[in-house]
Amino acid sequence: MSNAYDELREAAELAAAPRRAPERPLVRVDLSTSSIAAEADRLWEALTPLAAARDADLVRVGTLGLSWLEPVVEVERPGSGAVVYGPVRPEEAAAFLEAALGENPAEDAAAWLIGARLPSPGVAPLADHPFWAPQQRRLMRLMGVIDPESIDEAIAEGAYEALDRAVEMEPMAICDLVLAAGVGGRGGGGFPAGQKWKFLLGAPGPSKYLVCNADEGDPGAFVNRVLMESDPHLVIEGMAIAGKATGSDYGFIYIRDEYPLSIARMQLALEQARERGLLGKDIFGSGFDFDLEITRGAGSYVCGEETGLIASVEGIRGMPKIRPPFPAQRGVFDQPSNVNNTETYANVPLIVNRGANWYREYGTESDPGTKMFSISGALERPGILEVPFGMGMDELLLGCGGGPPDGYAPKGIQPGGPLGGLLPASDLGLKLERPPFTERGVLLGSGGLILFDERASAVDLTKYFSEFCEDESCGRCTTCHGGSQRLVEVLERILHGDGREEDLERIGAIDKTLQNANCLHGQFTPYAVRGLVNYFRDELDVHIESKRDPAQVAPGLIRYLVSDPQSAALREAQAFCPTAAIVERPAAGEPAEDGDAEAAAPTGMPDLMIDDARCIRCDVCRELAPEAVRVEDRVIELLSVV
Amino acid sequence: MERFAGLLEQLPRQQGEMLRALHLAQEELGWISRDAIRLIARHLRVSEAQVYGPATFYAEFRHSPPPKTLVTWCSGPSCRVVGGDRVRRIFEAEFGCRLGENTEDDELGLWLGQCNGTCERAPMVWVNGRVVGPLTMLETVKLARRLKDGEDPIAWPRRPIKIAPATFVAAEQVYGAEHGSGHGSGASSEGTGQ
Repeated sequence: MSNAYDELREAAELAAAPRRAPERPLVRVDLSTSSIAAEADRLWEALTPLAAARDADLVRVGTLGLSWLEPVVEVERPGSGAVVYGPVRPEEAAAFLEAALGENPAEDAAAWLIGARLPSPGVAPLADHPFWAPQQRRLMRLMGVIDPESIDEAIAEGAYEALDRAVEMEPMAICDLVLAAGVGGRGGGGFPAGQKWKFLLGAPGPSKYLVCNADEGDPGAFVNRVLMESDPHLVIEGMAIAGKATGSDYGFIYIRDEYPLSIARMQLALEQARERGLLGKDIFGSGFDFDLEITRGAGSYVCGEETGLIASVEGIRGMPKIRPPFPAQRGVFDQPSNVNNTETYANVPLIVNRGANWYREYGTESDPGTKMFSISGALERPGILEVPFGMGMDELLLGCGGGPPDGYAPKGIQPGGPLGGLLPASDLGLKLERPPFTERGVLLGSGGLILFDERASAVDLTKYFSEFCEDESCGRCTTCHGGSQRLVEVLERILHGDGREEDLERIGAIDKTLQNANCLHGQFTPYAVRGLVNYFRDELDVHIESKRDPAQVAPGLIRYLVSDPQSAALREAQAFCPTAAIVERPAAGEPAEDGDAEAAAPTGMPDLMIDDARCIRCDVCRELAPEAVRVEDRVIELLSVV
Repeated sequence: MERFAGLLEQLPRQQGEMLRALHLAQEELGWISRDAIRLIARHLRVSEAQVYGPATFYAEFRHSPPPKTLVTWCSGPSCRVVGGDRVRRIFEAEFGCRLGENTEDDELGLWLGQCNGTCERAPMVWVNGRVVGPLTMLETVKLARRLKDGEDPIAWPRRPIKIAPATFVAAEQVYGAEHGSGHGSGASSEGTGQ
């Protein structure tokens, strides 16, 4: 260890001591995008005077990953461990703090209690929570524990130690180490990072650029966001080491505009790192120069493709280019460049500190190490976690995630974003590594996994993904933008009860054509529809042949009917129908004097009916009057158009 | 506009500053006006077409003034599998405009948003950038109507997410029966569920 590093660490440990070994109670509030969505910022405001009054320190931290329990608060007390609570509503702040800092938090704060992160008497350990139990938190080690806006806390916990080692290493030795660890591209490609770095190392200078892909455009994936929000220095350190390994002295972190908090935290972390001499000239007195800047994206999915990303960094339209030339030959501003995913860079400091063998303790032959996954959709416990590669997907989605709520059965999985495809529930047993997914014709992708249950329509979901791909096509090749348009048209038609027998063949032809697209965006666009045809064929056939939607989602294939025209609940629901489609049935002449007397309304109120022409199938009435409204297949006249 | 022009002057005259300049325009002016494009082109020493290209390629850049109250509908799949598309239809019906449009008076707008990973709030929307969710359809109708009435969106409490029934390893198994009743998420689910 260099003297410069030792001094830095010592100072940081001193500064961070009150938080690492607190002498008074420490209240850690998760302030991340997910928790702020649950009003953690209001909670923070409410807790500020309360904590001060109780001699407790209030600390901002990143996320532990327990998204469904946000806002999460951890209370650490000297000598009695650290206990995690949630959800703590802002209006409950006083009652919560009273209980959690009181004599017997295990009982008094039981309403909020989740588990003990550090052993606490009478409280079950967090490690026993099904969401937590199978996790191996390496990248996430400090997430939810340190203040992501304090470089002192990060350094005191070991940040930049690996950089100190790396600046004294030969670039090739770092590349070899990363290659030996086998860390693959975390964006989903899985290409060995060490190999990629060697390409750049061998490229002629003088300017070489590193690019960090934090454009995480896959809906349902939020791994990079959590990384940048909760432990930004891990990413910076990884990039600096990559700079040393590739002979590059400048890098760009491309962050999508949808992540304002990530942008702010990374920006702050960069400034702090520069202040401490961890970025800039002559890092740790070794003669190694490296600096970074942030490029803020502006809402374009194809910019996640590396050549599109490079174009976007250059400030032009983010349209992918044909490779070769590869970025290592000609990248940002035509200089040799290397693009890696945020999570790929974040793994590097761990490898430099602990070695390739340690890294390979978890994971599989094809995918060594651990992987962060963001799980969502029809789940009891959506959130973000880190598990070894090779774990069963069922263990992750049903074990950690708790499966679908309210006893619904899982229907399928959507891995790897819009280009990732669809899997049926019978594939829940797949191992979480790339090969089994590729064999099934889908992509494991960057770590987003969405479970859907029987309430969701696979056809509707496929249409959504195809529409997304159409929207996000850069427009350069007709194959891609035209192909995806045709695909959406066919699916839309099917969803409106106009599916035709030849549609399957047509989908196949579009798929084949799309394989001629210039970049992966076009080539992978049909993955979703391929999944539909391969794994949800029954459902698709029912749509096409019987013009029915078994999931009763497609507005064009269902209708809402009143089953109890005198329901009081439905009468109340009338006011909430957005299109005023719940109307009184026009009286059919004078009511009969005798025979129909019993059938006549006891209330004397006219019958209610739903005006099908106005109804937008929004389900408000069924939500309010479940007994009085039913959904039926819309009978579509099967006209034989010859 | 003068303020924007002043801030623009501080950016280096490089092609690589294009996105930064466009973001600056949107932050300062609310949208990318024709005048803003002209200023950026002049500053970066490129043609107006070279600014117009990226300005229209990226979905975040707007080419008309934003509404007073903006509802951004999350189009993501996690929302969609739990009824997100119905949320869109309700807003369209209540606001009387289609997705991507403003109401005639520019008071309200309903725009498409991309998933930012707060999927535990699905189905959700952003109201002037703040997440509101998870929404039932009734709550969606009420939300849309309150926005039409001009109420402050930030002031509404958001519904806590339903907590799963006790699936946590029972505390008894860890500490023995005497500590078992008062803690663990079994108790927490009673306390805070719904």
